[in-house]
Amino acid sequence: MTALAVLIVAGPLAGPLAAAMRARARVAGLASVAGALVSLAAAIALLAAQLHRAPLRGWAGFLYVDSLSGFFLLTVAGVTLLAAAGSVAYLSAEEDAGTLSAFQVRLYFIFFGLFAALMLASLETGNLGLLFVLVEASTLASAALVGLEGKARSLEAAWKYVIISSLGVTIALAGTLFLFYAGSALHLTSDQRLTWPYLFAHAAALAPQPLRLAFLLAVVGYGTKVGLAPMHTWLPDAHAEAPSPASAMLSAALLNTGMYAIIRFLAITQARLGGTFPRVVLLAFGFASVVVGVLFMVRKGNFKRLFAYSSVEHMGIIAVALGFGGVLGLYGALLHTLNHAIAKAVLFLGSGDVALRYKTREAAGVRGLLTAAPVAGAALLLGSLAVLGSPPFGLFLSELTIVRAGFARASPVLPLLLLALLAIAFIAFARTTMGMATGHEAVPEDPYQGRAAHWTSAIPLVVGLAALLALGLWIPAGLNTAIMHSMAAIT
Amino acid sequence: MEKLAATSPAGVLLDLSGVLILLLAFACLGSKLFNRYVAYYGAQSVVLAFAAGVAASTFHSIQLWVLAGFTLAIKGIGIPLATRRLLLRRLALGRDAAISAGLSTSLIAGGGLTAFAYLVTRPQLLPHGVVAAAVVPLSTAVILLGALAMVLRRHTVAQLIGWLIVENGVFLGAITLVATFPFIVEAGIFLDIAAGVLIMLVFVSGLTRELAEASAAELRGLRG
Repeated sequence: MTALAVLIVAGPLAGPLAAAMRARARVAGLASVAGALVSLAAAIALLAAQLHRAPLRGWAGFLYVDSLSGFFLLTVAGVTLLAAAGSVAYLSAEEDAGTLSAFQVRLYFIFFGLFAALMLASLETGNLGLLFVLVEASTLASAALVGLEGKARSLEAAWKYVIISSLGVTIALAGTLFLFYAGSALHLTSDQRLTWPYLFAHAAALAPQPLRLAFLLAVVGYGTKVGLAPMHTWLPDAHAEAPSPASAMLSAALLNTGMYAIIRFLAITQARLGGTFPRVVLLAFGFASVVVGVLFMVRKGNFKRLFAYSSVEHMGIIAVALGFGGVLGLYGALLHTLNHAIAKAVLFLGSGDVALRYKTREAAGVRGLLTAAPVAGAALLLGSLAVLGSPPFGLFLSELTIVRAGFARASPVLPLLLLALLAIAFIAFARTTMGMATGHEAVPEDPYQGRAAHWTSAIPLVVGLAALLALGLWIPAGLNTAIMHSMAAIT
Repeated sequence: MEKLAATSPAGVLLDLSGVLILLLAFACLGSKLFNRYVAYYGAQSVVLAFAAGVAASTFHSIQLWVLAGFTLAIKGIGIPLATRRLLLRRLALGRDAAISAGLSTSLIAGGGLTAFAYLVTRPQLLPHGVVAAAVVPLSTAVILLGALAMVLRRHTVAQLIGWLIVENGVFLGAITLVATFPFIVEAGIFLDIAAGVLIMLVFVSGLTRELAEASAAELRGLRG
């Protein structure tokens, strides 16, 4: 079991290893894919083993994997595989076109692998201090990816990202301190007791006042990484300026890692203070994020920014689902996490092909994608339908569950408001992506003839869309059990 | 765990260090010159290392001695030196012109935040058993002052120093937990800070190369 946990983290390091040995983009990319495949297989095996056993503990509480960690590990490992597969085609094309130097390509694969490994590791630790260390380290690794191109715009985005996220995560560390203050009656002297399972089991002994502060600081702090409004300002810039596979990792893996930390704090707070206080906090931040995300999606412009604001919106939806609470709310939140991760990975990877082909990230410059690049065009169209929650894709199911969770609460006002916002999001988002997919192609002056049209770039898109479709029609029994077990672990 | 009474010599020294750290945060908030920012930050880190040393000798903890050494070497000497050499001197940074509020306004706002920190985390509100509870409001105030500096100053170097002051505030709070943070976590935090500063130095230098002046006031390419 421990070996599996180690394997999950070690898998993504294959890419950096290959890059350190001066491999070219194609080889380093294939090494990344192989590593991510190992990591995903190990995550599935661990989650399956987890369903029949007590949580995996070890190394004085530094290693702790229960079903909730297992579920998030599965999500992040899956996204890493998709993004690694996307990186092969994207980085080879950039290398061939000379946009990125060989050194930059090597840096990309080194930081890509580190970023994935650090995120996976942060999901495997039970120690709240180590969680901070790993999350901050993953911020730094991903900031290097955002600033990779070295142009003024990408450096600006990277600077904003690293300074805002570092401040946010430091605030989360202050929240962790207050959690420890709250637990001073527990004599938190051994490493074993600083872990979240111990604090969760002994929540009754926590002091309420510092705990309240701890939860607020944790939501603000880790919420910065999640991209909850009003701490979301780094998110659109970073997503727009990073290379597309890295944007997919940011949106579909990093944001979820932050949400995982919030869920851990939520579980402890709920066990001591009851549901009302944490729910109000999460509903407030959640609705703020949905509103901000939707409002900025109305603007036409850079399509990667559009997808980024859609991430803000969806993270808001997940926070709202946690705020609604109950069995339906939690189930919806977890299912939505997985669905959104896959859908956003497909969209960002597809957008990478589009950006390479048209040499622009402006939606207005892209027309007739369906005829020009059928695979990328179809992925963009189906991916946006999926991300907007149309049936038969998985997000329809999870959003329906979340709205039902809202109606199960006393007041129908909030779920109705959510539905209205989702409708606006649909119109705003589809208006842009429909325009990109249909119509006549404005032939680029210097048409791109590289590997972006190569079949390897289509694999992650097709696999991701198939998974989304499958999740919309049928939730595998194993996944269902995993989600139910995850919910049992935090209530 | 024994408690650090406010009347014991060690308790008094710890409280005094906390007050000094707060004053140095105010000094930073009230100055306009880049090398002053760095100097005040360095001094603050030295006092922080002293506070960690006091806690280490009280609790006879080797781990805390090591941390005090790290603090002195990395935050007290390493980071100020690197910032001076690699940024201030190379980019010829003198006076910070990108402050969005007057100095007196900044200081008044800082005073308000300090009062707020005391209101929220005064020792009476904390559970019994927190070692040196008087330091908690001080550390909260330092965190808020650092954040205020980051909001009011738009130059990237000033924001970097603001973040480091926030970090010092958190570390001051962590001293009062003494034995609770495992060593590997503390060491990891140091590693993160060092790596973070390094990567930020790279970004700031890169931005300066690309733009005339690396002030966040000029970072306006990305909006909406």
